[in-house]
Amino acid sequence: MRPRASRLRLLLASFAAMLLGGGPALAHSGSGSGGFVGGFLHPVFGPDHVVAMVAVGLWGAFLGPPAIWLLPIVFPLVMAGGGVMGILGMPLPGVEIGIAVSAIVLGLMVALAARPPLWVAAVLVGAFAIFHGHAHGGELPPGTDAVAFSVGFVVATGLLHLAGIGFGLLARWPAGRVTVRVAGGAIALAGLAFLSSVG
Amino acid sequence: MSGFVRGLLQPLVLPAHALALLALGLLISQQHAHLRLLPLAAFVAGLVGGLTAIALAVGQTPAADVLLAASGLAGIVIAIGRPLPTLVCAFLAAFAGAAFALDSPPEAISIAAGTIILIGTGLGASVALALAAAGASYLVDAQERVWARIGVRVLGSWIAASAMLVLALRYARGQLL
Repeated sequence: MRPRASRLRLLLASFAAMLLGGGPALAHSGSGSGGFVGGFLHPVFGPDHVVAMVAVGLWGAFLGPPAIWLLPIVFPLVMAGGGVMGILGMPLPGVEIGIAVSAIVLGLMVALAARPPLWVAAVLVGAFAIFHGHAHGGELPPGTDAVAFSVGFVVATGLLHLAGIGFGLLARWPAGRVTVRVAGGAIALAGLAFLSSVG
Repeated sequence: MSGFVRGLLQPLVLPAHALALLALGLLISQQHAHLRLLPLAAFVAGLVGGLTAIALAVGQTPAADVLLAASGLAGIVIAIGRPLPTLVCAFLAAFAGAAFALDSPPEAISIAAGTIILIGTGLGASVALALAAAGASYLVDAQERVWARIGVRVLGSWIAASAMLVLALRYARGQLL
């Protein structure tokens, strides 16, 4: 088991290095295309969005029930609220910083195996969801594809949570627990890289 | 494709309509098992009422927005995960059924062809909702399928989020109501 765990850690470290060496934060690169596929790809191509979503799932899995399903329910609902703010042009200062900090904080929560009360976790995740939603909100396309686009966007976000939950379930085993915490550390480092590129 | 088949498939072709049917199906599945028929019947009644209004050449209505709002409301209730009072659920279903129908004006050159499309739409929407409700009920009814009940609530949050975003977009672009 130990060599396998080491390989996993090496893989995660490589992943973190890849993210650290990546470009600036682009949570909302904007695919420009409408429809379900356009909406689905929109969050997937924003690395800072991706790592934060995965971190939500990881943390939920780490905390166990009911957080494992409550956080992925809270996030899209509050994210939609942030999206509405973005669509309506309501200003929200430091959106890019908030997104980068979300990766740092959520990654650290996993890395440090933090177990706050459920409401604290929900409020924290919800607060960051506003930044993610706001960043994406202004990019929903007009016209008949808006429903398909938003459904694709929300589904992709949910599947990223699911990916994090799937990976986070490794925490049931001792070696997996270490792996998940290392992944949390990698996400926090990636968030630092995003933050430095924003600044 | 014949007008009837076109009408029959319409609920599956339009994303807003498919979203509404999915939301209502999940909402009905969260009701107590012996109380699920009433909202289903209420939907069909609302649908028939709306289709009749279309057949009588009712003018422009904000049905698309109302249907999205109903989907969003249903999504929030699903995410909360508690059954609605039966009458409230039935009222919401009837309201959504009427909005669904009013948002489905047929594109036909004759009254006869338009009527056939409307009949297809009514039948397609009713069957699709019944199937969605039955499928979701099958999943959530088994005691051991805790994951299914959680999955339904997660889907509800996705539906609510999608509907909220589109409604806000329509408002921002001056298209709401």
